[in-house]
Amino acid sequence: MRNPLHTPFAAVFSNEVLLNIKRVAPYVLMAFFASNAILWWGWGPAVQRGWATNSEFYIARNMGGFSFILGLPIFTGIIVGDAVIRDFRLGVDPLIFSKPIGRGSYLLGKFLGNFFVLVCCQSVFAITFCALQWVPFSRMVVLPVRFAPYFKHFFFVVVISHLVLAAVYFTAGTLTRNAKVVYGLAACFYPAYIGYQLLLKGLPRIVGVISDPLGWNIQFGFRPDVWSRSADFLNQYVLNYGPAAYANRALMIVVTTLCLVLVYLRFRIDPVEKRSDHLTKLTLVEAPGRIAYTAPANGLLDLPFEPATARDRITLPKVTSTQGAAATLFKLFAALSVEFRLLRAERGLIVLIPLAIILSFFSVPFSRFATDVSYSVISATSTANMLLLLLGCLIVFYTGETIHRDRELKIEPVVWSTPAPNSVLLLSKWLAMTLLALSLVLVGALTTIAAQFYRGFTPIDLKAYVLINGIIVVPSMLFMVSMVVALNMLLRNKYVAYVVAVGAGAGLIYLYNIGYNHWLYNPLLYKLWQYADLTTLTILAHRLYCLALAAACLFLAHIFFERKS
Amino acid sequence: MLVIKDLVKTYASGVQALKGVSLDLSPGVFGLLGPNGSGKTTLMKIVATLLEPDSGTIEMNGADLIARKDQTRRILGYLPQDFGLYPTLTAWQMLDYFAKLKGVTNRKERHTLVDALLERVNLSAERSQRLGEFSGGMRQRLGIAQALIGEPELIIVDEPTSGLDPEERNRFHNLISETGNENTVVILSTHIVSDVSNLCSRMAIIRQGKILSSCTPWQGIDELKESVWEGTVQREQLAVFKSQFNVISSRTFDGQVRVRVISKGQRPSEEFAQTPPVLEDYYFDLVNRG
Repeated sequence: MRNPLHTPFAAVFSNEVLLNIKRVAPYVLMAFFASNAILWWGWGPAVQRGWATNSEFYIARNMGGFSFILGLPIFTGIIVGDAVIRDFRLGVDPLIFSKPIGRGSYLLGKFLGNFFVLVCCQSVFAITFCALQWVPFSRMVVLPVRFAPYFKHFFFVVVISHLVLAAVYFTAGTLTRNAKVVYGLAACFYPAYIGYQLLLKGLPRIVGVISDPLGWNIQFGFRPDVWSRSADFLNQYVLNYGPAAYANRALMIVVTTLCLVLVYLRFRIDPVEKRSDHLTKLTLVEAPGRIAYTAPANGLLDLPFEPATARDRITLPKVTSTQGAAATLFKLFAALSVEFRLLRAERGLIVLIPLAIILSFFSVPFSRFATDVSYSVISATSTANMLLLLLGCLIVFYTGETIHRDRELKIEPVVWSTPAPNSVLLLSKWLAMTLLALSLVLVGALTTIAAQFYRGFTPIDLKAYVLINGIIVVPSMLFMVSMVVALNMLLRNKYVAYVVAVGAGAGLIYLYNIGYNHWLYNPLLYKLWQYADLTTLTILAHRLYCLALAAACLFLAHIFFERKS
Repeated sequence: MLVIKDLVKTYASGVQALKGVSLDLSPGVFGLLGPNGSGKTTLMKIVATLLEPDSGTIEMNGADLIARKDQTRRILGYLPQDFGLYPTLTAWQMLDYFAKLKGVTNRKERHTLVDALLERVNLSAERSQRLGEFSGGMRQRLGIAQALIGEPELIIVDEPTSGLDPEERNRFHNLISETGNENTVVILSTHIVSDVSNLCSRMAIIRQGKILSSCTPWQGIDELKESVWEGTVQREQLAVFKSQFNVISSRTFDGQVRVRVISKGQRPSEEFAQTPPVLEDYYFDLVNRG
């Protein structure tokens, strides 16, 4: 009998696990989930309300929240969606499909291998949450140590919910072989899910109960009145899932199976048709006889030289290469134009720009309230705070991509052998990133103004937008871009730079929040400014300090630029 | 005149890639032949200012190429062995970008140049096609085109014909032979011996970071005059021949083996007849002995 560990399915499965082990994303997710488990355990509502942190109620509640709130549906798309696309993108597909492997084994191995990695990442939340039973805070209610509820609710609420989402992403990614479709679906998840919940309000309750992929409509099996009960009641509450919950979960497994069957039936290994009519092809049938190989008479000229064709007679025109400051500036604009065009082509922007628009829209108050300042100040301040966080993420990840793109695309030796100064190559990347971030600031500000206008909070105070963005957002953004460019130059590895930048940022924000906040180590002035201060000399001095730091970072990046001049 | 003197390069891993390489290159096409891992690419990268040698000098017409990298890049056209392109740009945009980086600021001149280059490498029809959709051969042709921007005095082409079909390879030979004129030094690094025999007026063979020979292809072939033998032997005899002679090639047909050996002044056996030497014989003879 064949050893199940030596089947093609097992080979594909284990290879997917191996590939994911070498990716950074799973580790980032694990760290993110573990830190959230600690946060929800120690600083969640349980301590305030007297709920036991290991009660079934609290465990099931947190699993439900974890499954939805932390962006898990998007992460599921990232991990599972491009499993098959990757093989085609890397050109490994002919090597794999020339081996005796069945379509079913390949697809199932791909899906389950990546889903297994996803579940491993998610389980870090449950495991951390479970392990924290042994380290209670003072005033925290903790019941005797238990294991089964963690496993039960994690499996029932998280695993099955994301199984169906993973199957949908996998199906879309595999059949279209387009990662943009997967990321688009992932980006649309939240608006679509909220829209679906609104739609359900007009339908019989049973429709929502049965069809909800995340189980919010079955209240994760809770009795409807459970939320209003006392802490003592909730701490002793034993959660048993009812028939509706089982029906819902069974339906999700059926949907998963249907998706996989669909992928199995529709999957093709032939290359996606490109505009092949524009490609030149070597057709040996039509090849002229003159290129036939003739045996060398003396070791020289084994390919006969023929009379030059019309094309070969074209002489290259003489051109003038200029030097000096004007030429350097010209090269800088040329490089900037290409870098910005490449940045614009990044697929993540399909998600980020709509996200910035949505968040800016929600930054405007929904109703009128008594306030000392104008609604424009409130809206612009709120957008600025939100944008700085979003810009931080954008800058960290896209700067890494920009700085390391030439090396990853193997174009670096060609670019580096041109007479463009190091400053041109570095500044073009810095400027492109700055332009992109500025565009996002502009989009955010315009959306906020539009939302303010739409909600009738007029007149619109443009001065407030200009001051807040000009004095707070733009200098902070310049500092962040320069800082991340310098980090990437120093560390020479974008993943290490991501970790260091995100870690340092999170650490600093934590410090600022617990009271260690000073402009010397808070160049973004997070929580250190009021609108009324913006025209004071102190703030202007702080902003000059921020810009000086940005310049110092750029200088450092220039020194550590690897290309020797 | 390009003069490379005592070039030494040891990587951080401890691998000594170049062990005192010295070469004199006059204008024309110079072939650098060597097996994989012999140090060809390291040498090319150092000349192209992308790698710093541990010691040694490179001078062109008296100017130090290592110390004055910016000057070197102005006269340089470089086609690396393994290179990429921005997949979202078109062929025309990519060449235009490289022309700008080379300092061709005049818009009209630049556009004429880019059009001519695309025509020359047979990519005019694909000028507006994204590079992400290009085949390996098309990318290689575009790589060759960018190396010719701005009339470079020093052209370095590292394995340029890999991935080209015979017709394009022939066209590349024509292009390079025309480019290597009285003012331009072209260094063609390859392991395809016929590329060197087709194009180069001078050549060097490198192995394990050392130059084994530097001569003209004719001189190399001449060294083996009346020393190359071909014959058919039984398969069992092959081991004996290999132990006694420098076997250049052995190919099996119908259970018998066609063997090509180098033997100076001595006929290997009755079955062998003398045959004119080719450049490959010289290359294999040196590399096998080295």
